[in-house]
Amino acid sequence: MEIAPSAVQDEAREQVEEEALDALVGQYASTLYRVAFSILRNPSDAEDAVQEAFLRVLRHRDTLGEIRDHRVWLIRIVWNIVLDRKRRSKTRPETDDVAELARVLPAHGLSAEQRAAAAQHHAHVLTCVDQLPAKEREVMVLSAFEELTSVEIASVLGITESSVRSRLFRARNLMADLLNHSRSLR
Amino acid sequence: MNSHPHNTFDSHTGSGSGEAEATLRLIAGLPAPEGLEERVKAGLHQTLHQAPRSASLLRWPLTTPHDPMRSGSTRGGWMQSPWLRGAAAAAIVFVVAGGGWEVCTRIQPAQEPKAIALPPVAAHGGFSSANAIRTPKTLNGTVLTHPLPDAVAGKKGPDSSKKPVKKAKAETAKPLGH
Repeated sequence: MEIAPSAVQDEAREQVEEEALDALVGQYASTLYRVAFSILRNPSDAEDAVQEAFLRVLRHRDTLGEIRDHRVWLIRIVWNIVLDRKRRSKTRPETDDVAELARVLPAHGLSAEQRAAAAQHHAHVLTCVDQLPAKEREVMVLSAFEELTSVEIASVLGITESSVRSRLFRARNLMADLLNHSRSLR
Repeated sequence: MNSHPHNTFDSHTGSGSGEAEATLRLIAGLPAPEGLEERVKAGLHQTLHQAPRSASLLRWPLTTPHDPMRSGSTRGGWMQSPWLRGAAAAAIVFVVAGGGWEVCTRIQPAQEPKAIALPPVAAHGGFSSANAIRTPKTLNGTVLTHPLPDAVAGKKGPDSSKKPVKKAKAETAKPLGH
């Protein structure tokens, strides 16, 4: 049977799209994972979110050529997935965060006791971060990524750059108050 | 975020928020697990081969413009002939219309009932007319059996309205005279 030229063209196009998708995965999977983990704080959940993000890209692979900045676009996709998952999932107890952080945080030259104390401190700080209003918290979490500029954060969140700055200012003030308050209670 | 040249946010290390930002930076800098890319790629390839393209439309006509089968070629290019396409469309219409007509002729309309069945009237406890028939009220006054004479009919013409007035005046004048 003769193969129509259109079928050959389709196959070639699919091959190109597949290669482009593989390139995106190789280039940005790690960044997307870190963004997902910063919100979900669970390795398997973060990996699932990355997988889902690329599946969404696969569904809209026809529009890949129209995207200017793939990195910001992908971060925005995974960010929406992560927020959606976080909203739907039940709030986990703080002890889970401590155990997870003790497992994943780097512990160069730290004893087991120091490592546990550091994990507890970080977990406490993260609890305070979770108490921030959503808008301020989101900006603060994204600003921790060194590779993201304020313009890119604004693009991910769909706000202006000045809003990013004002929200970060408020977040820092609120965070300082929260940490001081918790210290005074101890 | 401050060490990177792209990130332009101010440093707050040392303050309360600085602690929080240090923790967040620590988490943001955690490396991805090994084999993440391979797992994601494997998942994508699996999805790609299971469902090649979700919303693909059939191409019409079935051949491409560069197809040598186009424009009157005999090798399967019958779809390109407008006459044959029209004939095929007409055949489809004929079959569909014929099927519909056959269905219509097979279905017999329901026969109308010859007798109208009245709904049953409750014997006790319900209201009924008791076979009463409403008759309109007729006139109770005198009935003329023959026409009036012409003289009477003539007097009761235009002057009939004035006479009672005169009588009334006369009746009212009598008591004053006494």
